[in-house]
Amino acid sequence: MNFELSEEQKMIQQSVERFVQENYDLSNRIKISSEDPGYSKEYWSSMAELGWLGLAFDEEDGGFGGNQIDTLVLMEQFGKGLVLEPFLANIVLGGGAIKRGGSAALKESIIPSLIDGSLQLTLAYAEEQSRFDLEDIATAAREDDGNFVLNGKKSMVLNAESADKIIVVARTNGSQVDKEGISLFLVNADSDGLEKENFPTVDGLRASEISLNDVKVSPENLIGEKDKGFEILQAVANDAILALAAEAVGAMEVLYKDTVEYTQQREQFDHPLSDFQVLQHRMVDMFMEYEQCKSLLFRATMETVQDPQLSQRTVHALKHLIGKSGIFVGENAVQLHGGMGVTEELRVGHFFKRLLVIDSQFGNADFHLDKFTSL
Amino acid sequence: MDINLSSEDLAFRDEVRSFFEENKIKSGEDYFSWRLGWFKKAREKGGWDVPKWPEKFGGPGWSPTQHYIWEQETARANIPFDLPFGLGMLAPILMNYGNEEQQERFLPDIRDRQVNWCQGYSEPGAGSDLANLKTKAVLSDDGTYYTVNGSKIWTTLAHVADWIFCLTRTDDSGIKQQGITFLLFPMKQEGIEVKPIITLGGSHTVNTVHFTDVKVPVENRIGEEGKGWTYAKGLLEHERTGLAGLSKSLVELEQLKDNARSIKRGNGNLMDESSYKSKIGELEIDLLATEFTELRSLASAAAGGEPGPESSILKLKGTEIKQRIQKLTVEASGIYSSAWGDKGVGPAFAKGGTAGYLNSRYFTIYGGASEVQKDIVAKKVLGLTKGSSK
Repeated sequence: MNFELSEEQKMIQQSVERFVQENYDLSNRIKISSEDPGYSKEYWSSMAELGWLGLAFDEEDGGFGGNQIDTLVLMEQFGKGLVLEPFLANIVLGGGAIKRGGSAALKESIIPSLIDGSLQLTLAYAEEQSRFDLEDIATAAREDDGNFVLNGKKSMVLNAESADKIIVVARTNGSQVDKEGISLFLVNADSDGLEKENFPTVDGLRASEISLNDVKVSPENLIGEKDKGFEILQAVANDAILALAAEAVGAMEVLYKDTVEYTQQREQFDHPLSDFQVLQHRMVDMFMEYEQCKSLLFRATMETVQDPQLSQRTVHALKHLIGKSGIFVGENAVQLHGGMGVTEELRVGHFFKRLLVIDSQFGNADFHLDKFTSL
Repeated sequence: MDINLSSEDLAFRDEVRSFFEENKIKSGEDYFSWRLGWFKKAREKGGWDVPKWPEKFGGPGWSPTQHYIWEQETARANIPFDLPFGLGMLAPILMNYGNEEQQERFLPDIRDRQVNWCQGYSEPGAGSDLANLKTKAVLSDDGTYYTVNGSKIWTTLAHVADWIFCLTRTDDSGIKQQGITFLLFPMKQEGIEVKPIITLGGSHTVNTVHFTDVKVPVENRIGEEGKGWTYAKGLLEHERTGLAGLSKSLVELEQLKDNARSIKRGNGNLMDESSYKSKIGELEIDLLATEFTELRSLASAAAGGEPGPESSILKLKGTEIKQRIQKLTVEASGIYSSAWGDKGVGPAFAKGGTAGYLNSRYFTIYGGASEVQKDIVAKKVLGLTKGSSK
């Protein structure tokens, strides 16, 4: 067993860390977030040029042949700056679905333009009634004269505002909650019958509600086998959980360290706050939660790289702990910063919001505890 | 011990209910004129517009049970909004430490809801350690006015306030609790600058306030110079042991359950999911206990004694309960909890739920952070001080 990153991974880690330090102070983040398209196109191009977007794709598709550990390295550093660029939507979700299920032709037409940053992609999986159940899909895709026709609504679709193409999860067979009968379709965002309602999210990102009215999709844009899309979806969701958990670990590190620093500077009752034992112990608790999350993140990621079939239970455990601990660390960072913690002026509140959102994506702490205990 | 309400109390409850029913806002009625009219009618009932004021100043002189009934009924009814600053915070200080002239000058406008007050206590360097405040007030040579310079922070609704009651430092030679002077002055005047603070929920209710050479006549000083801490402290204790808003929380909990039931899961709903249901159950159990802690506290206060030790935990439990309700609202919203802004996405209750949760983090910070509350309980109730085990 070895927890050391490779030399290449260490170099990438340092280069992302530097990028975040140089570009992601709070005021710059707020500025980027508030202006369209909600992230920096310039930064996105730099990420492509530095090769970050291609790390996790296979070499024969034009990538660097990396895996979830490379994504972990990126996402943990992104988490330290609350990076806004749509890496998750494009690379982990969209790219993850294409690389797993896309035909040779689809891979060839999509993956190179994901890697060079010229194409914006996302995955529309959730629906209003589905809450966190991936298999609960009401959006219907019926076959009509060789094409597919999509009807239904998708919810909380990240990056849809910017997306050129959207991968839509739809039902081709079975009842609403069957794992069998789900298929994935690559749909042009400007298709007739596709409408978006865009809005900001709590953490300064953007999402959309999407409605599909008789949207025509040709059969070559089916990703994977018809009716067999759930396996792809589950694998992509697991990758997304690993990526979000890595981001959360980065955010938790910032929160506990900022809190330690702040309590050493802030004086009340003629002492630095850090002199008070009750606050010391609280910060030790925050630190312990962070370290435990990091351990489980490593465990789940390494197990997934080894054998994704066997890692499912650990992935559930990870998302439970990240949700619970992330909110614990966030709430206490705010509490220990006092009134200032509850304002937009300090960065702790922004990190807390991101952790809150991460808990609501791909299943919250309760959902994954339930899954974990029933496996 | 008897949990039943007496026939007098039941009659009182019915009277309160029918008063609320008869004076509901009518559709199309202007809110603000309805509000003023409502308080006028409540006053005619014999001080119902100022339930917590002593009889001597026009309050109704209710028993603890009547106060409890009132709190329960107001939580359920749609009654006009009210702000605590003048009515609940400044008024008791005026009654206890103000002179007759000041009482006559300020109390009637407070009672009529004509003047908005804000509270100038916290400062950038004086949060939980409030006595550390530095805003300076210097008495003029002829002894007729003070000149105030300094800054306040977390001043709720300072941007709409007409007047401020303010703790200032007139002497820094002794221990920091001494040399604090309690002044009242108008907000709309030269030398006062109010800047908004935007909270995590995206809203503007608190502010920073800067004073530059603000002149305050001596007749606007409450009590003696340098004794302001004693006056304010009595009030802070009152604030810390005051009602914890539990009736409101009970109503909100019922609303939360309804919201969770509206989230369909399989053949049932979110309230059928064991993890969610357990959290609701634990919350409700805490509420049932805390509600009676509050009642015991009210009863011991009414029996003439000091509020009992049980009262010290009310703010701690009450604020924690409110935060848990907000958190469970976020959880019930599921994927929609991350939507932000004015557009309604997902179930109706999800809109604003996360903003409410984020702002609720303030509940365990203002009026003395929970950590400080626990210090007070440890010291005053359990008798624990540094070295007490030796």
